Amino acid sequence: MAGYALRRLAVALLLVWLVTSLVFLVIHLIPGDPAELLLAQGGVSADPAMVAALHAKLGLDQPLWVQYRDYLAGLAHGDFGSSMVDDHPVSEEIALRLPRTLELVGVAGFIAVLLGLPSGAMAALTAGRWPDQALSTAAGLALSVPVFVVGTLVVLVLAQELHLVPAGGYVPLARDPGRHLLLLLMPAGTIAVGLTATLFRVSRSAVLEILPREHVRAAQARGLAPRTIIFRHVLRNALMPVITVLALHLGGLLGGTVLVEYVFNYPGLSGTLVDAVSARDYPEVMAIVLVISVLVVLLNLVIDLCYGLIDPRLRYG
Amino acid sequence: MTKFILDRRALLAGAAALPFLRSHSARASTPGNMVFGLSSYPPTIEPWANGGTASATVKLMIHRGLTSFAADGSAQGELAESWTREGDRIWVFKLRAAKFHNGDPVTAEDVKWSFEQIGDPASTAYFRAEMQRIDKIETPDARTVRIVTKEPLVTLPLWLASFHMPVISPKSTKALAIGAGPFVITGQERGVSIDLARFDDYYKPGLPKLKTLRAVAYADENLRVAALHSGDVDLIEYVPWQAMDEIAADPALKLDTTDGPFMYLVFNGSKPPFNDARVRRAVAHAIKREDLVKGAFFGRGSGLAHLPIPESSPFYNPEFKNGWNYDPALAKRLLAEAGFGSGLSVTLLSTAQYGMHKDTAEIVQQHLAEIGMTVTLSLPDWATRVALGNRGQYDFSVMGNTADNNDPDGLASAIDGSLPPAYVRSFNLPTPKITELLQLGRVTFDEAKRKAIYHEMEKVAIEEAPFVGLTWRSQGYAMRKGVTGFTNLPGALTFFTGETFETTATS
Repeated sequence: MAGYALRRLAVALLLVWLVTSLVFLVIHLIPGDPAELLLAQGGVSADPAMVAALHAKLGLDQPLWVQYRDYLAGLAHGDFGSSMVDDHPVSEEIALRLPRTLELVGVAGFIAVLLGLPSGAMAALTAGRWPDQALSTAAGLALSVPVFVVGTLVVLVLAQELHLVPAGGYVPLARDPGRHLLLLLMPAGTIAVGLTATLFRVSRSAVLEILPREHVRAAQARGLAPRTIIFRHVLRNALMPVITVLALHLGGLLGGTVLVEYVFNYPGLSGTLVDAVSARDYPEVMAIVLVISVLVVLLNLVIDLCYGLIDPRLRYG
Repeated sequence: MTKFILDRRALLAGAAALPFLRSHSARASTPGNMVFGLSSYPPTIEPWANGGTASATVKLMIHRGLTSFAADGSAQGELAESWTREGDRIWVFKLRAAKFHNGDPVTAEDVKWSFEQIGDPASTAYFRAEMQRIDKIETPDARTVRIVTKEPLVTLPLWLASFHMPVISPKSTKALAIGAGPFVITGQERGVSIDLARFDDYYKPGLPKLKTLRAVAYADENLRVAALHSGDVDLIEYVPWQAMDEIAADPALKLDTTDGPFMYLVFNGSKPPFNDARVRRAVAHAIKREDLVKGAFFGRGSGLAHLPIPESSPFYNPEFKNGWNYDPALAKRLLAEAGFGSGLSVTLLSTAQYGMHKDTAEIVQQHLAEIGMTVTLSLPDWATRVALGNRGQYDFSVMGNTADNNDPDGLASAIDGSLPPAYVRSFNLPTPKITELLQLGRVTFDEAKRKAIYHEMEKVAIEEAPFVGLTWRSQGYAMRKGVTGFTNLPGALTFFTGETFETTATS
């Protein structure tokens, strides 16, 4: 088991290095110059001499490999650098925003599990009959509506028309817990719509696949209560694919909540990443991508290790 | 077995409970306090750097310069009580008794220090080049500033009214600029909001009227409008054009718009076909501008077939109103004269990041097809579009901008071909006659002579077309009915409207 864990860890580190190096290369190769953008705010023209001076100050006049070397050296010292736009330390920005995104993604995942898993099981148990058909139709609908449409509708109906909720924003938990929760539930609920439908489908097919298996029939033959059979013998076995799918989706959401953050003015990490790309703020882009990729790789590592625990055959694979 | 029933009564009870979740802490509409919905979080609020329009608005809350703009576009006194001119090259400003936010008096030495910082060779100030035209600044006493310029500078008081020209205390640090404006920053969260409070020692008695002012960034224009409707904010900037009718019709809200910014085309003069003025004029005459106003701005704007000198300006020339009128036959003839009678293929650079830039490009493409020009659109993100523009890697391109002020000299950055390459103007397209006239306008104090100079300049611009005007676009603020004293300044001054936060009140 230790060898297996070490191998997975090595692969994980390699993956993080590959991702960050690739992003470093790509962000520097695409057109767009942070110094020019910075000096050309509001449609004004940037003086070439000022651009050159700023290049020197930001180290952008160095060859790419030197910049890459300096970047890796900084990382080795735990230094993410400062924003090119306003010199703000990138690590502070991440420390402020990452917890918000994690909270958003976590709550969305929680809602999705809470609703998706039981409804999927219920649909499988009533396969072909009306509850299954109704739930499957609803899931199909939820999957086909883009997240920004759901978000915009929530804002339009609840905030703009009914004046029931504020039109997005964020309030720290310590300042006002009620409002914090309300402002969190809108984007989290919006993300959960699609995620619930996905989990519904996965758990429905997992339960359907397990129901005709021999151990279930054996349990029925032994005269166990239907409740016991479903909870102990069906759902428990159906859980693994659900967890896998959930983990993959949550990993994707870490950097992918930008549309929802935008629609609800939620100051999380994804929006910062997109703003940083628009401003070609290299240190901020690199640091956020690095943090997200580490988290995604960690998430996958945990799943891999779980597989290893559950299924001994994988340890030697 | 208990069945969970969601009946109508339960649903209504739930809905009725929802309003109790509303908290009043960040709600707008408390008298004396205001929440303002910004279109973006300012990337910088450094006093002399250009950080875009959101930054300019915030700077106008915190800072003041020697002068500001009156609604008619002229300069009016701020930290300077009055000013006079001695000959062609000396301006004398008399300061009023004003205080910086740290309590220090604003002295002539502070003004001199500020302007010298701006003009420093290493400064990144927007007005660096302009301040370098100053020979020396003398301070005969604490309330008198004597500015000696290297050459006559008619527009100096207008330059000093810019939001990029505030006077700050020499005790300022890089992180905190100490201004003398109506509000003081009390807190900010990067990317989210800025909190301000009234500066009690502001030099205008009784102002500002607001106790607190909170600027919250809403990057999504639809959410900005929703926040105004729901009462989260009292006032929003950059009202999206598609929402203007609905806001104007809402009895709880009011809309204040002006035609200020403008859209135009710039050209790459370093290669055919646009190094030929006839081809540029052909483009200018091939575009039906009403379609642009309708298609890109929901009818909120007007056609611009001449230089962007507004009708309200004393320098407006009515005979050029239709200088580049819609005339496809003339456009075809000009193309044929230039040797492109059988048609030509070009690429139009714009950006998909901003709807108005993309929509404008698409409509221009359609109209040019009618005169035999096959236009391919290039729509990268804004950052790429700026880089391509600055390097001249395009044929012609869509641009949106405002003049620096309502004086024709404020158009220099868009039409003066002698300035360094920049995406806001045509690339490698010298305009010696225009450059000469702009320079003449800057050193001529006689208003009648200036009018003649800019009349000539517009005539030359229409013939040579280094810049092709497309549309004026409406720039709007929307607010609750209870907001008073906030007035959109006309034309190019719309982005100076932040000046009026000092007279703004909420009830």
